[in-house]
Amino acid sequence: MNRPPAVAIDFGTPDSPNSSSFEFEEVGYPDPYHQHQHQYDPESYGGRANEETLPLHYMSEEKARRRVRAGAAAGNGSDFDGGAAVSGNEKEQFEYQEYDDAGKDVYNKPKPYNGQRISSGRGPSHPLPPPTTITEFLLQNTEVIVPVVYTLLSCWTRFHRIGASNTVVWDEAHFGKFGSHYLKREFYFDVHPPLGKMLVGLAGLLSGYDGSFEFKSGEVYPDTVPYVAMRVMLATFGVLMVPLAWFTSVELGMSQWACHLTTLMVLLDVGWLCISRFILLDSMLLFFTFLTVFCLTRFHNEQFEPFSIDWWVWLFFTGISIGCVTSVKMIGLFVTALVGVYTVEDLWDKFGDTRLTVRQQFNHWAARVVCLIVVPVLVFMASFKIHFLILNHSGPGDSQMSSLFQANLEGNDFYKNPLDVAFGSRVTLKNMGWGGGLLHSHVQSYPVGSNQQQVTCYHYKDNNNEWNILPAWNDKQHDPEGPLRYLKDGDIIRLSHVPTGRNLHSHTVTAPVSKLNYEVSGYGNLTVGDNHDYWQVEIVDDTKRGSVGQVHSLTTRMRFKHVALGCYLRAANAVLPQWGFKQIEVSCDKENNRKDAHTYWNVESHWNDRLPAGDMKLYKSPFLRDFWHLNVAMMTSNNALIPDPDKEDILASKPFDWPFLHLGLRMCGWGDNQIKYYLMGTPVVWWGSTISLGVALLTFAVYILRWQRKYNDMDAREWDHFLYVGKIAFFGWAFHYVPFLIMGRVTYLHHYLPTLYFAVLMFGHVLDHFIFSSRRFSTRTKAIVFGVLVSILVATFWWFSGVAFGIDGPVNEHWGLKWRETWNIYN
Amino acid sequence: MSSKGKLRQRNPQPEASTSNYEYDQVQEDEHHADIYTSPKSRSGIEKFFEGSQGSIIVVSALTALAFALRFYKISHPDQVVFDEVHFGKFAAYYITHQYYFDVHPPLAKMLFGLAGWFVGFDGSFLFENIGDSYITNNVPYVGMRALPAVLGSLTVPVVYAIMKESGFSTVIAAFSASLILFDNAHVAQSRLILLDAALIFFMSLTIYSYVKFRKYRYMEFTLEWWTWLLMTGFWMACTWASKVNGILTVFCVGVAVLFDLWDILDVRKEGHTMDYFYSHFLARAGGLILWPFIVYLSFFWIHFRVLTQSGPGDTFMSPAFQETLAGNELLMSSHDIYYYDILTFRHKDTKVFLHSHPDRYPLQYEDGRVSSQGQQVTGYGHNDTNNHWRIIPTKSLPETGRGRIVRNNDVVQLLHMPTNTLLLTHDVASPLMPTNQEFTTWARDDYTRHNDTLFKIQLAWDAPENEPFKSKSGYFKLIHVPTKVALWTHPKTLPDWAFKQQEINGNKNPSERSAIWYVEDIIADQYNDEPADRDEDQRPVKVPKSMNFFKKYIELQLLMFQHNAGLTASHPYASGPLNWPFMISGISFWTDNDTQKQIYLVGNIIGWWTCVVGLSVFVGIIAADLLARRRAMDPIPDSVRNRLWNNTGFFLIVWGVHYAPFFLMNRQLFIHHYLPSHLASALIAGSVLNFILSDTINYPISYATSKTRLRPSQYADTGFKGLATVLGYGLVLFMMFIYIAPLTYGTPGLTGEQVNSKRLLSTWTLHFAAKKTHDS
Repeated sequence: MNRPPAVAIDFGTPDSPNSSSFEFEEVGYPDPYHQHQHQYDPESYGGRANEETLPLHYMSEEKARRRVRAGAAAGNGSDFDGGAAVSGNEKEQFEYQEYDDAGKDVYNKPKPYNGQRISSGRGPSHPLPPPTTITEFLLQNTEVIVPVVYTLLSCWTRFHRIGASNTVVWDEAHFGKFGSHYLKREFYFDVHPPLGKMLVGLAGLLSGYDGSFEFKSGEVYPDTVPYVAMRVMLATFGVLMVPLAWFTSVELGMSQWACHLTTLMVLLDVGWLCISRFILLDSMLLFFTFLTVFCLTRFHNEQFEPFSIDWWVWLFFTGISIGCVTSVKMIGLFVTALVGVYTVEDLWDKFGDTRLTVRQQFNHWAARVVCLIVVPVLVFMASFKIHFLILNHSGPGDSQMSSLFQANLEGNDFYKNPLDVAFGSRVTLKNMGWGGGLLHSHVQSYPVGSNQQQVTCYHYKDNNNEWNILPAWNDKQHDPEGPLRYLKDGDIIRLSHVPTGRNLHSHTVTAPVSKLNYEVSGYGNLTVGDNHDYWQVEIVDDTKRGSVGQVHSLTTRMRFKHVALGCYLRAANAVLPQWGFKQIEVSCDKENNRKDAHTYWNVESHWNDRLPAGDMKLYKSPFLRDFWHLNVAMMTSNNALIPDPDKEDILASKPFDWPFLHLGLRMCGWGDNQIKYYLMGTPVVWWGSTISLGVALLTFAVYILRWQRKYNDMDAREWDHFLYVGKIAFFGWAFHYVPFLIMGRVTYLHHYLPTLYFAVLMFGHVLDHFIFSSRRFSTRTKAIVFGVLVSILVATFWWFSGVAFGIDGPVNEHWGLKWRETWNIYN
Repeated sequence: MSSKGKLRQRNPQPEASTSNYEYDQVQEDEHHADIYTSPKSRSGIEKFFEGSQGSIIVVSALTALAFALRFYKISHPDQVVFDEVHFGKFAAYYITHQYYFDVHPPLAKMLFGLAGWFVGFDGSFLFENIGDSYITNNVPYVGMRALPAVLGSLTVPVVYAIMKESGFSTVIAAFSASLILFDNAHVAQSRLILLDAALIFFMSLTIYSYVKFRKYRYMEFTLEWWTWLLMTGFWMACTWASKVNGILTVFCVGVAVLFDLWDILDVRKEGHTMDYFYSHFLARAGGLILWPFIVYLSFFWIHFRVLTQSGPGDTFMSPAFQETLAGNELLMSSHDIYYYDILTFRHKDTKVFLHSHPDRYPLQYEDGRVSSQGQQVTGYGHNDTNNHWRIIPTKSLPETGRGRIVRNNDVVQLLHMPTNTLLLTHDVASPLMPTNQEFTTWARDDYTRHNDTLFKIQLAWDAPENEPFKSKSGYFKLIHVPTKVALWTHPKTLPDWAFKQQEINGNKNPSERSAIWYVEDIIADQYNDEPADRDEDQRPVKVPKSMNFFKKYIELQLLMFQHNAGLTASHPYASGPLNWPFMISGISFWTDNDTQKQIYLVGNIIGWWTCVVGLSVFVGIIAADLLARRRAMDPIPDSVRNRLWNNTGFFLIVWGVHYAPFFLMNRQLFIHHYLPSHLASALIAGSVLNFILSDTINYPISYATSKTRLRPSQYADTGFKGLATVLGYGLVLFMMFIYIAPLTYGTPGLTGEQVNSKRLLSTWTLHFAAKKTHDS
C-alpha cells in the first residue's frame, strides 16, 4: 500500500537538503472553491472588506495542500467540478433567505459553505516513479524506515531486563494459572473472555511449558517454567503498539512532527511499558485496541473509493479486530462503541447523499452489518468454541456450567450417578437459569429478616451443597431399609441440609435483596420442623425424554413449590452483600411464572447406594447453550466484584485518580531485596494528554461559536478533518472513561491504559493543530518546539524507566521519584 | 496573498430580504388544501370553542371537576399516610419553631406549616407512625391536606392554558388537561400532605411562563417580555425550593434558553450584533439565574428566621451553627477544657464512650492472627468510671489561667484513670479488621513507648488554629502522631472476650467522616474537684449567637446534597425508572386491615399508556421527518413542522430532563418521581392528537411587531371529529378513573375478589388480594 507521497516528478537530486518527496504531492489549491470566494468579494461584500477578521487558525501550506484534494484528482471519487460549485453558491444564497426565523435549522450538522460534502479522507495515491539517487530512495521510503526504527527501539524497551524478576509478579498469578489450565485442558472459570488467556496458553506451549506450575503470587519460578520466553512472546504485542501508533497518526493525517511525537509518547510511556512486560492480558488488549483504531482510520481513508478491494479489506479487518479485542477483555466493547458511533455518523451522511442510488445505500448498510456486527460476533463465538474444545477435562470451573455440560467433561462422573431419584437420596440441586449455581447453605445466619440460617446459590463444589430428600413430617418417615420410593411429580418433600441438618424453609419474611419475595432459610433440625418445610415437586419436563412423571438426575427440569405459601424456589443472579459472601440470593417467588427458568432446578450429583449407576454420557450439551450460559455467569460474577466498604484495598483506585496520575500501583512485594515494579505513567504524557482534552473541547467551543457568527476559520474540508480526528480521540477517550465512573465494580489504574491512547492521540492532534501545521510559526520554531518536547519526553522516561525495568535494592535510595505526595513509591 | 486573504474574511452576509421574498412560495402547495386562512372559514364547533366564551366554559368545567375529584372525601383516611410521617412532622416544626433537617428545600414544607397555622394546628402532634389517628390527637389535618389539593386542582387549568398559549385548539387543550384531571396518581398525590403537588404545580407554571415569554420574543425588552422572563425565573425558583427534584426544571429551562441563545447568536438572522447578543445574554442571566437564586435564598432566609429553637436537626449541623439555636445543648452546657481535666469521650455517630478495662486482647484470634495482648480499648454504651480519661499535656503550661486551655492541634496524652495507663496505638492489626490498627494502653511509667502515646486533637470543620477545645461542641478527631491513624469505631461488636463491646481501632484514612468524637462531660478538674465555671464569656443567660446567613445556607445546602445521595437503602415499593411510563408498579401508601381499605398510588392506566403512545408517535414523526429531509423530501408543511420541533420539542425536553437523570441516580426511586414527566407527556400527547386529527394550527401565535416579517396566518380546526374524539376518550378515561378510585381514595373497602379485579397488571402488589387458585 503506497502512502500519499504521490506524483514524483523530479528525477534529479533535490536542490535543497530539507526537501522531501512529500513536496511532490503538493498539488494546487482546489480552484473552484477559491473562485467562488473571488466572486463574492467584490460585489456582495464590497464595503465590508474593512471588517475582515483574522481566522483563529491557519493551516500551513504543506498541510493544507496535503489534505485538500485537488479538483483534477477528484474525478475518482466525487463529481465535484467547477460548475457545480458555482451553482452551489447560488443555492447557498437562496438557502440563506429561505432560513425562517420562526424555526430552527433542524439539520443536525453544519453545512459546509460550498455545498460539498466530502469525507475528510485522503485521496487516492499514485505509484511513485523509480528513485534515481540513494537520497531519493531514502526519502521515498521514510514511511517504512521510520516505523522500523521505532519498532526496534520498542523491542529494546520491551525486552530489556524482561526476565529480571524471577518471581510471579502481580496478576501473573491469575493469567499464568489460566494459561496452565489450557495446557492441562482443565475447565476453569474466569470473568474475562478466553482469547487472551488462550494466547497465554499458546505462549506457554510454544516455549515448552508443561502447565504444572501453580503461579502462586510472589513465588519464585522453578526451572521448569520458561517464564522469560512466555513474557517475551506476550511483550511482542506490546512492541507492536509503537508502529501501530505511528501508522495510525499518519492515517489521521497528522504532520510528520506530530506523528513522531505521538509515536514517541506511546514508546516512552512507562505505564504501557510496564504492563506489557509480564504474563498479563493487558498487552494484548492494548494491541488489539490500537489495531482497531488503526483499521478504522485506514478504512476511513479508503472512503473515496467505496467497495474497492482495499475498502473491503480494511472494513473486514476492523471487524476482526473488534472481535479480537472483545474476546480478550470485555473492555473491548468500548472501542467497539467508538467504531459504532463512527459508522452511524458515516451512514447518516451517506443517507443524506441523494446522489447515491438505493442499491448503493443498501450495499453500504449491508457491508457494515456483515463486517462490523456479524464478523466480530463470529470471532467472539469462535474463541469460546475453541475454549470449549481445548478444555475438555473436568477442572475447578465445572460448577459454573450446566449439569449436562459437566457430565461431558472428562474426569467428571456425574453420568455415573443413579438415574432415578428416590426418597433418601443425597443430591445437589442446580438452578437452571442462565448462570445458575447449586443450592447451598452454611452455618452463618441472615443478619436481617428472620436471622435464621442462610440459604444461597453457590458456584463451587463443596459438601454444603448436599441435601437429603426426605418425606414430609406428617408422612411415613423414611426407612433406609424399606422399599424404594421414587420421587414423582407432585410429591411433597422436605429437603434436609446434610452438613447442618437444617430443613429448607420459607416463611412470610421478605427476602434480603428481592424485597417482593419471601426469604428462604434453613430451619429446625432432623427432628424439629413445621409445615413450612414442605416443598412440592413439580416436574416441568425432561430435556432428553420429554414429559415424564418421575425425577431423573441431570435431565429432569423441576420446580419446588412451597406448600404453605404457594411460592416457588427461585435464584435469579441477585448478589447478596458481604455478609452472604457475595453468593447468589435464593428466595421464594410469589408469582407463579411457568416460563421463568430461574425457578427450574435439576438434580446434579446424586448419591444413593441402593440404586444402580446410570450412564448419561450420550447426552451432549449444545454449544450455543453453553456459550450463553458461560457469558451470563461471567456477567454475574463481574457484577459481584463491587468494592467492599469494610475492606480497605490499597491497590484499587477511583477513575478520578487516573487522568492526572494521582496514584501509582505497587505490582509486587516492596522488600529491599526484591525487584520492584511500580505501575504508573510517564507524568508528562499523562498530564499533557489530559490537559489536551480540555484544550480541544475549549477550542471546539470557540470555533463553533465563531462559526455561528460566520467567521470562516477553516475551509469546509479542513474543518471536517479537524472534527474527524477530534471526534475519534475524544469519543474514544470518553467511551473508555465514563463507563468506569458509572459502573460499581472495583477499578484499578491499569483500566485507564486503553483510555490513555485516545488522550495521547488528542495530544498529538492539539499540538499538530496549534503548532506543527499552523502557518503562524516558521519551520525553525516548530523544530525548536519539537526538540524541546522530545527532550522532555526522553528525559522523563529515562528518569522513571526504573519503575518499569525493575527497581533494584532499597527503593528509598532511588532519589526524586515521588513527584506527587500521593504516590506510595517510597516506604 | 489571494488564497490567504480568502480564508480570513468573514462570510458575506446576504441582505435580509424579507420584502421581496414571499415565505409561502417555498411551501409545497399540496398542503394548502387543509389550511384555514380566515378564522371564519372554520367549522362551527371550532368557532364556538375558540371564542372566549367557549374557552371559559371549558376551563371552568375542568377546574370545577378537578376541585371536586381532589376534595372528595379528603378527610379520609383520618390517619397518617405514607410520607405524611415526614412532611406533616416538618410542618409541625415550623409551628413550634424547632430546627429540623431534611434533604428537601423548605418552600413546600413552609406552606404546609402556614396552612397548619391557619387552621389552628399547634404543632404538638409529631406524625410518628403511619396509621396514627388524627382524630384522637386533635389534628386539623383537613386544612393541611387542602393545600396540596388546591395546588393539584389548579394544575389542571394551568395545563389547559399551556396548550392554549401554544396555539392548540380548546378541544386539544381540554384533552391534555383531562389526562391530568382524571389521573389517579395525580389525585392520590394531591390529597395527602406530600410535596409533589406543589412541585408539579410550580413546574407547570414555569412551563406556562416560559411559553408566554417566548411568544413575546419579537417584543424584546418590553414590559411584557420582562414580566414573563421574571415570572419564569420566579416559578422556577419555587419549583426548586419545593423539592430537590425541582432542580431538573431549572435544567430544562436552561436547555431551552441555550437553544434560544444559540439562535440569537446566529449572524444570519437579521444581522444581530454582538451587543444585541450580550444584552439578551445578560437579561437571561439576570432573569433566569440571579433572580431565581435570590428567590430561592429568600425561602431559606425565612426558613432560618422561623426555626430559631433547638430541635431534632441540631446534631446534623456544625457547632457554630448549633450555637445560633435557642436552647441548644451545646450552647447551654459547653465549657472550655483545661489540661489535667478528667473527661469522657463519646463517638458522634454510634454514641459509645471511649472505654478501657483491665482485660487483655487474646493472644490469637479465631482467624489465626495474633494480637499484642495489650489491655483492651473498646467502645461502651453506658456511663462507667472506666470511661474516664485525663488529658495530659506534652508542653509546658503556666501555673494558672487561660494558658492551660487545650487548643486545636495540641499534642496530648490520654491517661486512663482506673488503670493508670496511657492510650496507645501501634502497627498491630485490630481484632476485627486486618487493615486497621489496634488500640491498647501502656503503663504510664514505662517511657519506652512514649512516642506511640502521642495524639493530636484536631477539631472538626476546619477550626482555626487556636480554637479552644470545648466539651459538647468540640467535635474532634484524635490523630495518632507517629502513624497518622484516626481513633475510629464502627457498630460491629467484639466477641465474648471483650463482653460484646464495640471495637475501637485506628483508621488509616484520617479524612474518614465517621471518625469524629466529642467530650461528653468534664468529670473533674486537675484537683479532682467539680469543674468551676470558667467560660470565656460569662453569660448569665445564654443567648443564641448569630451567624452569617450565607454561611448557614451553604452549610445546610451541602448537607442536603450529601444526605440526598446517601438515600440508597432499598425499599419494597421502590421501582426502576424504566417501569414508570408503563405504570408497571405502584406504591402502597396506607392500609387498614379491619375494613380492607387501602391507598395504592397508581396512575390511570389508560391515560398513562396514551401518553406513552403519544410520546412514541411524536418521536416517530420527528425521526421520519429527519429521515425524509435527509433524503430531500418535505412531507410536513413548514409551519406545522416548526410547531412540532419548537413547541412540542420543548415539551419533549421537559419530559426528558425530568426523566433521564433518574437512570443515573443510585438513590431509591419511586413512581411519583415520574409525575412531572407525566405532565410533560400529557402535553405531548395533546400535540400529537392535534397532528393526527388535522394539519392545522393557529399560526403565528407569537406577538408580532414592526420587526416581524409578514407571514400568512392560518387557523386551527379539528372540527367535529376533534370534539367527538376528546369527549369519547374523556368518558373512557373517567370510567377507568372511577374503576381504580377505591385504591386512590382508600374507600370503600374491597373484598379479595374485588382487589383481584382491580389488579389490572400482575405487577401491582395490592394488599388483601384473594388467594389465586392455581389450576394446573
